[in-house]
Amino acid sequence: MTLTSDKVTRQRYIGAAVPRKEDYRFLTGQGQYIDDLSVRGMTHACFVRSPHAHALIRAIRTEKALALPGVIAVATGKELAELTNKARVALEGCLPMEMATLPLTKVRFVGDPVACVVAIDRYIAEDAAELVEVEYEPLRAVTEMQAAAALNAPLVDDALPTNLVADQSFSYGEVERAFAEADLVVEAEFRQHRQTHAPMEPRGVLAVWDNGRKELTFHNGAQVPHPLRTNLASRLRLSENQVRVVSPDVGGGFGQKIPLYREELTVAALAIKLNRPIKWIEDRAENLLAANMAREDWVRTQAAVKKDGTILGLRAELWTDFGAYALYPPNYMIRVVGMILPGPYRIQNYAYNLKASITNKCPAGPMRAPMAIATWVTEGTIDKVAEKLGLDPVEVRRKNMLTLEEQPYDMATGYRYEALTLRESLDHALEQFGYEQFRQEQAEARAQGRFLGLGIASVVEPNTYGSAWYRSAGIPGTGHEAATVKIEPSGVVNVMVGIMSNGQGYETTIAQAVADGLGTTPDNVQVRLGDTHVAPYGMGTRGARGAAAGAGVAYLAAVDLRAKVLRLAAHLWQVPVEMVEVRDNQVLVVGGHSLGLAELARIAYLDPLELPPGMEPGLELHKTYDPPPLTFSNATHLCAVEVDAGTGMVRIPRYLIVEDAGTLINPTVVDGQIQGAAAMGISGVLLEQVVYDETGQNLTGTFADYLLLSAAEAPAFEIHHLQTPSPNTPAGIKGMAEGGVMGAIAAVCLGVQDALRPIGAVVDAQPLSPSRILGLIRKHRETR
Amino acid sequence: MTAKRLISVTVNGVRQVREVEPRRLLSDFLREDLNLTGTHVGCEHGVCGACTVLINGRASRSCLTFAVQCDGAEVTTTEGLTPAEGLNPIQQAFHESHALQCGFCTPGFIVTAHAFLKENPAPSEAEIRSALSGNLCRCTGYQNIITAVKQVAEGGRQP
Repeated sequence: MTLTSDKVTRQRYIGAAVPRKEDYRFLTGQGQYIDDLSVRGMTHACFVRSPHAHALIRAIRTEKALALPGVIAVATGKELAELTNKARVALEGCLPMEMATLPLTKVRFVGDPVACVVAIDRYIAEDAAELVEVEYEPLRAVTEMQAAAALNAPLVDDALPTNLVADQSFSYGEVERAFAEADLVVEAEFRQHRQTHAPMEPRGVLAVWDNGRKELTFHNGAQVPHPLRTNLASRLRLSENQVRVVSPDVGGGFGQKIPLYREELTVAALAIKLNRPIKWIEDRAENLLAANMAREDWVRTQAAVKKDGTILGLRAELWTDFGAYALYPPNYMIRVVGMILPGPYRIQNYAYNLKASITNKCPAGPMRAPMAIATWVTEGTIDKVAEKLGLDPVEVRRKNMLTLEEQPYDMATGYRYEALTLRESLDHALEQFGYEQFRQEQAEARAQGRFLGLGIASVVEPNTYGSAWYRSAGIPGTGHEAATVKIEPSGVVNVMVGIMSNGQGYETTIAQAVADGLGTTPDNVQVRLGDTHVAPYGMGTRGARGAAAGAGVAYLAAVDLRAKVLRLAAHLWQVPVEMVEVRDNQVLVVGGHSLGLAELARIAYLDPLELPPGMEPGLELHKTYDPPPLTFSNATHLCAVEVDAGTGMVRIPRYLIVEDAGTLINPTVVDGQIQGAAAMGISGVLLEQVVYDETGQNLTGTFADYLLLSAAEAPAFEIHHLQTPSPNTPAGIKGMAEGGVMGAIAAVCLGVQDALRPIGAVVDAQPLSPSRILGLIRKHRETR
Repeated sequence: MTAKRLISVTVNGVRQVREVEPRRLLSDFLREDLNLTGTHVGCEHGVCGACTVLINGRASRSCLTFAVQCDGAEVTTTEGLTPAEGLNPIQQAFHESHALQCGFCTPGFIVTAHAFLKENPAPSEAEIRSALSGNLCRCTGYQNIITAVKQVAEGGRQP
């Protein structure tokens, strides 16, 4: 599309490392997170959770709990079914699934909520939860996705004929022919383990029912306030104008705070029924047992190749473990992995099959880079091709990698690459890193018996996800975003956007974009997010859409509002509009006059008879913007690793990233996103793992078991930027913030693979914990 | 539940005399009873460090401490380290280095860094990393946090 309203070329603040406006309140402990809110008469909820992975609920006895002084109510699935509607998730290619607000007949994973206690304080609510007696009849559990698909497996959802809820195949180009013409077919396997988002602030809600107005205010650390409101109203049988979602400061989301959870809905329904405000703050054990999890995928690839390394075609088989319930369509995220597997390479003959199983484990959902396994799979396949053919892995990459000259390029799966600097980024990274020199050092290290390796990962990060993407994927969502920009009568600016910050710094970056679009300064702009009574209906924060969609629409709205400012100024001075401009809050006419934005705003609001004929009083503009189906950014990650053969520990002596995210709104914020994303990827590969035993017990319910990266292990990332603006977005912004995860998973795994190559070890499964690595070393040393 | 006990705790220089249940966590006492919500609770089992406060000058987990254990003690929270106007040097360095994103873990890091730099005003990077390793951050990847603490130490600024 062409952005006709975008006539602004000069950028004063887009691209500047403006310090964050939101920092002061966070640094001084004055941020307002969900648990910092309280209202008069507030009560507290605590959930009774299943200790079984799979069991029938025979009876729930609440008398003892209700008898405890301070307890107000105990509600079970039966009561909630009277107060709320079920959720139904359906997507083409997937069996539709329903979910009651709380289970009625059986529990499906350890941590499944079965009852909710409401009491006057949190301590009493927790005491009472222990007094609720639930009689269970345990059933056989299924905890492994491929076993779950077997005909004799216990059914996780009794309403379905099978646990294999999706099984879809897609084919593009001439795959059979490509494999028939191949000199060699190279196979590779990739198993990624279950992880969880672990935002430092767990989930939480404060639901307040105004019985006089019949309105619910739902304070919730949310990523997508408006879609949440629509969903909440529908589940509660309220009209949408009876529900207000207000998201205070959010202590990290990473995808976990997108859906309407059953606990949150329960609390809202009970707040209405009891006519009492109820707060629920999840504790960490609940977060690690029962908030969404992610990433448990398995992929096998077959590449049809020529002896010179040319890839003729690719086949992939993909599996995902979706856990016990569908808060999203189970085939949704693994489908994205399938769509993007060709990555930076010229692969037109491509076919994939995806399968999704449900199991007796916590439900899955998107986590920062839901398609995170993709880069590891693509680049791991390339490395395997190089290994089998005895070629340099960089040469195989260069041979198959798309160049800038070949773009716009339509990938096999139907998406268009444009302005991606894949080769440039790879070459720049290798040069900055000193690739040849590293290979020499590696040879010397190997001669000394040291395990030194290099992981090379070229990332194509799909992001922003416009409405056309949702349509083509068959998902009933949209990808547009909305902004309202107001110059108030005193000349200060308020901006409301539908996205919601979970730490991304939107209050700064949107202010920068608006400052340039409008001709004001970032400090004159206040950005207000998260309150559905204030912000326009937008699709919220997900899929790295904050920059291109969120800041993008605010920028476009500001550009349009600037046009009105200029028309008004031109009228006041009786000059052609081309002779007027606005910059840093000053409206200037070529060759002389100037007027403060404040004076102009005063006229617009308070002196409407001065306005040109037909111009409406006020300076306020609302705009929506639907971005392209996908914006892509690209990056190259180079990760040097050294494996200690004695301890199995992986050390990262050097980590270099070249990123091309197009126009950067704020390079400091972008670097922070890259560092955080890459650290999350590394943490996932080396430390994190949700462990279920064969009976479905979760063994990682604390941070002493579920390990996160700390300052002691975090590498220093050396970041370089290429900035190739997108031709298709406001100001040339591309999305970013998820690719760092994809790149790091790939680069660390492939680095370890490279390090262990001399002993013939195959690194085809994560996490790369010391025990797994020692196991690999032992196995291969013994067999040699 | 057991009978409440009367305790006297000096919090951020102000003597607070309150009745609390023996099982009341210091973190709840600070947040709920004294409205000092800058101390955050991230795990309630002593790993994440978001709830770090100073008890008699030592960095401590307020989620693993009962309020009654602080009878007669001096407790300093992130609010107590914040000047009436502007930022303290550690806060300023965090701001300049972009050492925070969502901000939830930030008060815990600032209290930890404060106690650490008092004890070791000229640390090595390895010492900084080790000192901060008891505080978890899910957003930043720690690089800028380490830079910020280094900057305070190298600037010779008093925490």
